[in-house]
This record gives sequence, structure tokens and C-alpha cells, in this order.
Amino acid sequence: MLTRQISLSAPIFLFIFLFQEAIVNQFKLPGGGFSLFVIFALVWAVISTPEIAALTGFGAGILMDMSGGASGPVGQWTLIMIIICYGVSFLGYGDENINGNPIGVVFFVVVASLFTAVLFLASSALLGVTTGSFGQTLLTLLGNSLWTLVLTPIVLPVFSFMHNFVFETRTVL
Amino acid sequence: MRYGGEGRTRLLLIILIVTALFLITLDLRGVAVLDGARQGTQTILSPFQRAGNYILTPVKNFVNDVTHLGRTRNQIEKLRADNAKLKADLINRKNADAQLKQLESILDLAGTAGYKVVNAKVISQGSSQSFSQTVTIDIGSNAGIKKNMTVLSQTGIAGVVKDVFPTTALVMLATDPSFKIGVRIAGTQQIGILSGRGSRSGSLQLLDNLTTVKVGDVLLARGSVANRPFVPGVPVGYVTAVDNSAGEIAQSGTVRYYTNFGGLGVLAVVVAASSTNPGDALVPPKPTPTPIPTVTVYVTPSPSPTE
Repeated sequence: MLTRQISLSAPIFLFIFLFQEAIVNQFKLPGGGFSLFVIFALVWAVISTPEIAALTGFGAGILMDMSGGASGPVGQWTLIMIIICYGVSFLGYGDENINGNPIGVVFFVVVASLFTAVLFLASSALLGVTTGSFGQTLLTLLGNSLWTLVLTPIVLPVFSFMHNFVFETRTVL
Repeated sequence: MRYGGEGRTRLLLIILIVTALFLITLDLRGVAVLDGARQGTQTILSPFQRAGNYILTPVKNFVNDVTHLGRTRNQIEKLRADNAKLKADLINRKNADAQLKQLESILDLAGTAGYKVVNAKVISQGSSQSFSQTVTIDIGSNAGIKKNMTVLSQTGIAGVVKDVFPTTALVMLATDPSFKIGVRIAGTQQIGILSGRGSRSGSLQLLDNLTTVKVGDVLLARGSVANRPFVPGVPVGYVTAVDNSAGEIAQSGTVRYYTNFGGLGVLAVVVAASSTNPGDALVPPKPTPTPIPTVTVYVTPSPSPTE
């Protein structure tokens, strides 16, 4: 069962990652833009079990660490995504008001996205990676959260459908 | 309901976190494998990124224009302003270059004769409605300019100071119909009076009926008492036509001024002449004609074929 899920999930994650790197990253959007891949990973984690969410975070983090645009050491994003994905899944698992409700999922994804960025900043500071001025950082955090808030409701049905297809659950958001 | 948190999940989480920390440690210690993995991933991604860039360039431009609409407009306005400023600078530069060239020639001329000059820029052309040929220069009595001082161009006489104001002066050009200057012919030292005619040509009237003038003779300013209004030795022009009418007491002719009055930019006012007369030292050199190469072709008919 797990083998089937991983073998189906991996190409989807790879495709979204490729889409992020080849298409989304082409646009220089105001407010720092957004990461479709992070949104996808967070949505996937919110509506999965904590075990799957942790694995999702690990896989997504590894891919993000392999990206040419990653500024920190390999493993930084992996660590952050494991923690965040597991955290959102742990907090929302079994609560139908959260992972069964599109609004709840969107809220969790937006908050998780913000925490991801904050955690990245904090870990970067610990690892000695330069992240820019405070004002610019604040603007990016705000912009990124707004983009996530706008985009998540749009992509949520698609991602939910994919998740349903992989895990054969009956609930589609 | 919160997730129960079975031991397996916690173990998995710990393993994953430890793995991540392990990766971070390895990377910070400079293990080449991780760098290679990142480079390999980028190598795989780069064709897709290039393709994405190629396909999305028009969309990107559109999105960029939309998202930066105000900024783009401001940028266009700024670039337009910069372009206009650069064009103006270029024109000014060309103007300055031309004026510099004129000034160099004037200083050469004044230096050869030993004149003390004050340079001036032409700031206004006189109105032709008054039927006078004048220009306004940007120096006046504050710079020591006085009425009836000789004004030089880069090639010779330009005119005489007609009126002086504190910061400007009005110069009567040599082409003005009321302009008259005593001249002598370089070499023969024959004297005459040259009058302006409203164009670049002037009328020469010799004073001595026994002397003759010929086309090409160079005229120099004869000089005035106390060097005002004219200092001696300034090139004026050259004779282009001679009138040998029988009824004339003395010969007359037409003279072309050396000065190009249509392109006056920089002038010099002679505030003090040299203590000695420069004589013919300022006679401009005659232009040397450019040799035209000739080609001679000899054609030799080929022998007719014999049968």
C-alpha cells in the first residue's frame, strides 16, 4: 500500500517541483511571489496522516534543498518541511473542522506557510546565511502569505483530487 | 480529535529529523557528494528552465508590465527626460566644440598680432527688421569693453563695438551698410576704404588713382588713431572683383570678408593693441589646392588576325 502511494506521489511531487522551477520561478512577482510547491506540500500534509505528512515534508524538503535557488545548506529545507508538515498534520488530524473543511485547510496552509518562512529565517540566522534587510524580509513574509491566501483556494480542489487519487480516500475538498 | 501519536510515527519523525540534521552537518563540513547532488539537480532542471523562459517570455513581459504599470510609466518618462537631456547635451557639446574651435583660431590670430583680447559669446543676433547687421555679445563694460573697440572673429575682422552695457555689448558687423573701415592691401600697402553692403561682400574704394588692385589681393585693417575703432593688421578680406570703369577716379572692387558672419559663435574684443604694428603677419595663408590625380590610359590596337 505504502509502495503504491509513494510511487504515485513521487511523480506528482516531481512534476509540481519542476513546474515551480521552470514556470513559476520565471515570474518576478510583487511581494516576493509564492511557492506553489510549498503550498502543494502543505496542503498534502494537512489532509494526510502525520506519518505521511512527515514523509511528505522530508521529500519536499529534499527537493527544495536540491533546487539551485536554495541558499542554505542541504538539509535546511528538509528539516523545516519535516517539522512544519508534521506539525500541521498533527494539529489537524482527525479534526473535520480543519482537514475536512476547505476554509480550515486554507487557514492552516497560510499559517504554516508563514511559519515555514519564519523558521527558514531563524535557521538561516543560526547557520549564518544572509537573508536581507528587516524591511524587505517583512515585506516578503507578508507578500508570501497573501499570495498563499489567494492561491490556495484556487489550487486546493486539484491538489485534493490528486491526494484522493493516491490515497483512495472518499473526501474531496 | 488529535492524532494519537503511535510510536512508529514518532520514530519515523525522529529518523527524518536526524537525517535532515545529518545532511546539514555534512553540507556544512563541505562533503562534495551533496554539492554534486545539487549541481546534478540543477543540470537536470536547467533545460526545463530554459524552455520555460523561452515559452513564458511574452507572458512574463505582460505580467511585468501589468504589475509594474506605474513604475514602467515612470521609467519611460524618466528615460524620455534623460534622452531629451542627452540630446540637448549632445547639441551643446557640438556647439561647444565649434565654439572652442573658433576660440582657438581667434586666440591664434590675436596671439600672433599681440592683441590683448577679451573673449565673448554671441548671445543674440540683431534683428534684420532694423536693416542693421549687429550681434549682442555676453560681455560689457564690467569686462572692460568700451565703445569703438575692434571685434575679431576666428579669421579676421567681425565688426566694431557699437554700444556697451554693463554685461552685454552690441557689435556692428562689418557687413552692416553703415560700416566703414580703412584698409590696406597686403604687400603693396595701397590704401582704401571698405564699406559693408549687407552681405558677406564689401565695396572697396581705393584712395589713390595711381595704384591698382587685382583679384586675390588681401586686405588688412589700416588701423585708427589710438587703435580705435580699428587696430592695425587685422585681416579683413580679399578682392574678388575689380571695377575698371573709365569714369572712376580711383579703382574700386568687391571684397569678400574672411569672416563667416552666418556662423558667429565666439568673438574677441580687442581691448589693447600691440605696441608694434604687426604689418602683414596676419595675412592668412592661401589655400593650397588639392591635387587631382590623373590617369592616362594607352590603348594599343591588337594586330588583326591574318589568314
